[in-house]
Amino acid sequence: MTGDATAAGPTRVVGWRRAVSLLGSLQGYVGLVLVLAFGIVTRGDTFLSQANLTNAVGAFASRGILAVGETLVILTAGIDLSVGSMLGLASMVSALMLANQNLPPWLILPACMLCGAVMGLANGIGTTWLRIQPFVMTLATLSVFRGIDRQLSDNVSVGTQVAGPDGKLTGNAEEFQLFGTPGHNLFTGVLGAGVYYPVLAFVVVCVVGQLVLSQTRFGRHVYAVGGNEAAARLSGVNTDRVKIAVFTLCGLLAGFAGPIDAAYSASADPLAGTSYELDAIAAAVIGGASLAGGRGSIVGTFVGALILTLLDNVLGLNAVSDNLQLIIKGCIVVVAVVLQRPDLLRGAADFARRVARRGAPARTGRSS
Amino acid sequence: MRGIGKTFPGVRALSGVRLDVRAGEVHALLGENGAGKSTLCNVLSGAFGSYDGTVELAGEPVALHSPKEARRLGIGMIHQELTLVPDMSVADNILLGAEPRTRLGRVDARRMRERAAALLGDVGLRLDPRQPVRQCRIAEQQLIELAKALSGDLRVLIMDEPTSALADTEVRRLFGVIRSLTARGVAVVYISHRLEELAEIADTVTVLRDGTYVGTRPMAGADPAELIGMMVGRPLGELYPRPVSVASDAPVRLRAEGLSLAAAAGRTALSGVDLTVRTGEIVGLAGLMGAGRTEVLEAVYGAHGPRAVSGRITVDGAAYRPRSPRWAIRHGLAMVAEDRKAQSLVLGNTVRFNASLAALARFRRYGRVDRRAEGRAVDEQVAALRVRTPGTQAVVGTLSGGNQQKVVLAKCLLTRPTVLLLDEPTRGVDVGAKAEIYAICHRLAEQGTAILMVSSELPELLALCDRIVVLCEGRVTAELDRDEATQERILTAAMARGTVLTRTAAGRAEGETR
Repeated sequence: MTGDATAAGPTRVVGWRRAVSLLGSLQGYVGLVLVLAFGIVTRGDTFLSQANLTNAVGAFASRGILAVGETLVILTAGIDLSVGSMLGLASMVSALMLANQNLPPWLILPACMLCGAVMGLANGIGTTWLRIQPFVMTLATLSVFRGIDRQLSDNVSVGTQVAGPDGKLTGNAEEFQLFGTPGHNLFTGVLGAGVYYPVLAFVVVCVVGQLVLSQTRFGRHVYAVGGNEAAARLSGVNTDRVKIAVFTLCGLLAGFAGPIDAAYSASADPLAGTSYELDAIAAAVIGGASLAGGRGSIVGTFVGALILTLLDNVLGLNAVSDNLQLIIKGCIVVVAVVLQRPDLLRGAADFARRVARRGAPARTGRSS
Repeated sequence: MRGIGKTFPGVRALSGVRLDVRAGEVHALLGENGAGKSTLCNVLSGAFGSYDGTVELAGEPVALHSPKEARRLGIGMIHQELTLVPDMSVADNILLGAEPRTRLGRVDARRMRERAAALLGDVGLRLDPRQPVRQCRIAEQQLIELAKALSGDLRVLIMDEPTSALADTEVRRLFGVIRSLTARGVAVVYISHRLEELAEIADTVTVLRDGTYVGTRPMAGADPAELIGMMVGRPLGELYPRPVSVASDAPVRLRAEGLSLAAAAGRTALSGVDLTVRTGEIVGLAGLMGAGRTEVLEAVYGAHGPRAVSGRITVDGAAYRPRSPRWAIRHGLAMVAEDRKAQSLVLGNTVRFNASLAALARFRRYGRVDRRAEGRAVDEQVAALRVRTPGTQAVVGTLSGGNQQKVVLAKCLLTRPTVLLLDEPTRGVDVGAKAEIYAICHRLAEQGTAILMVSSELPELLALCDRIVVLCEGRVTAELDRDEATQERILTAAMARGTVLTRTAAGRAEGETR
């Protein structure tokens, strides 16, 4: 009997190991699958409809784009708390350009991105040349950018649905709606119902971000700076330049997300984007980024953002109260981070095996 | 208290070491870097949970499994690196972990200040105990550390290079305190590299080598040459000496003249270091801990930035300024840093990521990293260096020390350097990998790479190097050719602190008269 058990042992262990390692590589997606399953089981028909999914992702798109920039910063072991304020300021700038100057959207978007990039550059310079910790520097600029935002707007929200003298929307305002006002899609006709611009923008940003991280020298340098700054420096990486670049990119993406947010709510609120940084950080962390730097990916952040947004959506569909939603969201972050630990499953497997072994003599005794 | 006997057979870094320290005596421990002095002291202070052998205190066997137990038994230790909390006050630091408390359980601040002031008086310091440690000078901090060790009922005091950061007057003061301690019957174990200091303070000296006991001598009448002989006496047999020697007319690849480095926290200042490394030559940098060996490499590599470094450096005859590591790599330099884990590797990432990190520019294609070319080059290097890894996608942190070091070497070699700076390339590497690393160095030198290498293992330097430059306190004290270099001569030059200091003083006086 004991002979049989030892003979069967190795093969069983190998299979077991393979299963554990396979599960381990899929850990990140477990949460997404769970949320999807929950949605399908409880509200299958509504949840899976294209309209619902588009709305859900679209509502989160601006924060998702912030999360991509945030991931870049977090990968270098930094953090950017000012993304929400940068988004707010960019959305205000876009609304003002539209309402006061009546500029065309194709000019507004690059202007906002430039504006965001300048803000991000300020963050980057503060953290490198002035050697202020990223947390402190961006905490300061969070306040500064918000203050500028409110000063510009005089604390009044600025509508983006600007009407011309004839009472109809001006041409530029009409076009601006394509940035994300619900119900206005791109490529209608060509692609059936068309594509909701925020969703498209989010996906494109994710794809480009992931390619930059995985394919380019800059991407490698980002991981190296976060993984071991001293080693990166001694390997000839200009660590300051990399850090400034990620902060600038983060600001640029916030500037990109600004007009989307303004169009989505049809106005730029002086408080728009408040606490978005928390969602952005949460998405990155749920997606497997480590605040210690050097670990994470844009794909992960994309999944993290989907988990957050779909969870919101599912809970909303099931009429769960807002308060409870907040609690659940917080718990999800904790669970996701624990799930991401590489040794978690192995540890659990070891534990299970130990328990099984302790119970084994009695059981095998009975079975034989 | 009668005396203490200690033996530790079978500890990895330490085997069969014995040490008898009598009450009221200063017992010096002497040995090369890595001879096991610090390990022994860490055992005595309870820093290691387990050890072999027995320790007897006053004739009774005691178990030392934690610093707390050691402290309770009256064994205090002053580490080489200071262990004070910079932002806490002097009094808080001295009584850390032994704070007097009021009946209500609050920390009794008044009693604490009084006790701290008394202890500070014992070590001859007049400081306000409320002052934060950050504001104290290094020498004062050293004495505060001593006061901290005194806070218990002290029977044995272990000091690991207490004078390495002190100036001469401060050393005097420290010696005064040590003498008053021994007069009270405290036994002192004292580690230092400075022979002339030992002659002054120590009563007995025990020499360690490669983690084993060599001998004990009374300090009075001990001949420095004999002590040095005891420290080195290692057979050279296991290392093959370098077969070919470079012609002395080979072109000079790296030349540094008057290389100086400004002092800063945690590094030794360099003054006027002259060096040449010829094509295909391996030059060794010898010296004791803190002699400035690492600093020479880092200064050349630009790790300290251009402003801290002065002097003329030429690479292949062209003037070169050490602006940054990036600049250095672009000019054909590469460095294997001293601390593999902290300075060389992104441990959580793959072999390929680490190996190609410094040379990514080579694989750039259409703005992307050409992964196929990168993979090919890394594979080639991994094969050439015989890195034993499950694959280039394996996480570097999971490899053994020797293989990690080879990945670092691969990273350097992928940048196609003409000058290779090696800082302790075989530290923490097993014997087999060591031999392979030596072979790699030979091969590179044959191919014309100029190698400047720092090592604490003298036999390694003697076997590998064409020339050895000896540093002491940031200055060159000897330059020895392969035929004239012996361990004795190197160590004598490395310990030539007296001559260096008089020369400095002379230089300074000269400067003043001018």
